[in-house]
Amino acid sequence: MRILVVDNGGQWTHREWRVLRDLGVETSIVPNSTPLESISADGLVLSGGAPRVGLDEEAMGMCGAYIDKLEVPILGICAGHQYMALRLGGKAVPSATPEFGKTLVSVVDEDDLFKGLPETFVAWESHNDEVTELPPGFKLLANSETCPVQAMKHETRPLYGLQFHPEVEHTDNGYEIFQAFLDVCEARKKG
Amino acid sequence: MFDPQKFIDDQVEKTRSEVKGKAIIAASGGVDSTVCAAIVSRALGDQLIAVYVDTGFMRKGETKAVDGMLKRLGVNHIVVDASDEYFTALEGVTDPESKRKIIGEKFIRVFEREAAKSGAEYLVQGTIAPDWIESGGGLRDTIKSHHNVGGLPSDMSMKLVEPLRDLYKDEVRKVARALGIEVAERQPFPGPALAIRIMGEPTRESVDIVREACAIVEEEIEKAAAAGKMNIPWQYFAVLLPVKSVGVQGDVRAYGYTIAVRAVESVDAMSATYMRIPHEVLESISTRITNRMKAKVNRVVYDITDKPPATIEWE
Repeated sequence: MRILVVDNGGQWTHREWRVLRDLGVETSIVPNSTPLESISADGLVLSGGAPRVGLDEEAMGMCGAYIDKLEVPILGICAGHQYMALRLGGKAVPSATPEFGKTLVSVVDEDDLFKGLPETFVAWESHNDEVTELPPGFKLLANSETCPVQAMKHETRPLYGLQFHPEVEHTDNGYEIFQAFLDVCEARKKG
Repeated sequence: MFDPQKFIDDQVEKTRSEVKGKAIIAASGGVDSTVCAAIVSRALGDQLIAVYVDTGFMRKGETKAVDGMLKRLGVNHIVVDASDEYFTALEGVTDPESKRKIIGEKFIRVFEREAAKSGAEYLVQGTIAPDWIESGGGLRDTIKSHHNVGGLPSDMSMKLVEPLRDLYKDEVRKVARALGIEVAERQPFPGPALAIRIMGEPTRESVDIVREACAIVEEEIEKAAAAGKMNIPWQYFAVLLPVKSVGVQGDVRAYGYTIAVRAVESVDAMSATYMRIPHEVLESISTRITNRMKAKVNRVVYDITDKPPATIEWE
């Protein structure tokens, strides 16, 4: 199985690559300017990054096209998550309370990504913006005291968004969450 | 999962095919550059010369200790004392990014001089993933310019060889253990050294203060860990703050600087939590620092910030 990490300039983009490699899948980091037709993968991770997605959509490169056109599972993280919401008709704005470092995330609906995980767990954050309104067709999977959408999923398409960073060592259950995403990719591939 | 033995074999082979001729390696005595030296010397043998630069900002006893360690490692090496150059270049400099860039450029100039003497065309560096990630470029914001990436001058002539670019420190340690490197568990120490643990101008006087404070923090924490009172943190050190405050020493008013103690737990330096040090250990650090350096320092504080939002080092 081959999973690509789309680089939106995050501090932890390379960590996402490392976790995927540790989980034993073929993976590489590609710039977000990679043309749609050059993307050949069984799943995609849209990394976080410095761009403020509400303000500089251009910096998110081809991410919009990937979200619109690709049929493989996509996991948006931080800026990737916010941009997914924005692109599909939700709302992402500067956070009333930005979160940096340790936060307690509460699972609302375990769905695929949080299956078997505790109802609350420690997650590491680093964001100035956040999703405040889910796009049509999405459901809420998790929140925290100061952020209404910590995780979301499309009802029918394999699109997932996480505000927190499962790739960071200090986040509990991070590898399990990535493995759950890989299971979705694997099931989809077998079709 | 990461396989250190396979990594060593792959990199030895890659270095053999890429490097034709002599190379020098920037050797600090830390785990990254020492691992790099061991791997590259397997590929190049006597064609490799390790260059250790004493910038004047090294910790207590460090230059002597690294000299001995490199000797035992069996790699050709030289020690260059360039401290006068560094202190001159940093006169009046207080901005952290300027410090890092000046130090980065100075390193390259020293290496170029040494390379010219031996005819080396390649510069091997122990650059690891956080170095280039945090140095930024393109979409990625610059958090701090690591001297070996963001601090490189644009006109450098040597070809760079960086076998550890995709590794984090925990993986480098695995390679170090596989190679039997004696500094495998040594705590990370930044290339710009004590110059970025002085919040302000790095002078011979200010570096003496922070050097002594760092030595006390290291000794007290290592002593406490040996006695089973705490684990060894990922990184632990002192920072000299330019803040002065009032104290009383022997019934006499004192007005001195502040030392901040920093100790964190981490796996890869990309996220970190502050260390829960027992109060009795913090107290002995504080007492020793203020008694030993009473003329300069009369207050000690402990940094309780995680990364993010802070970084591990202060600059």
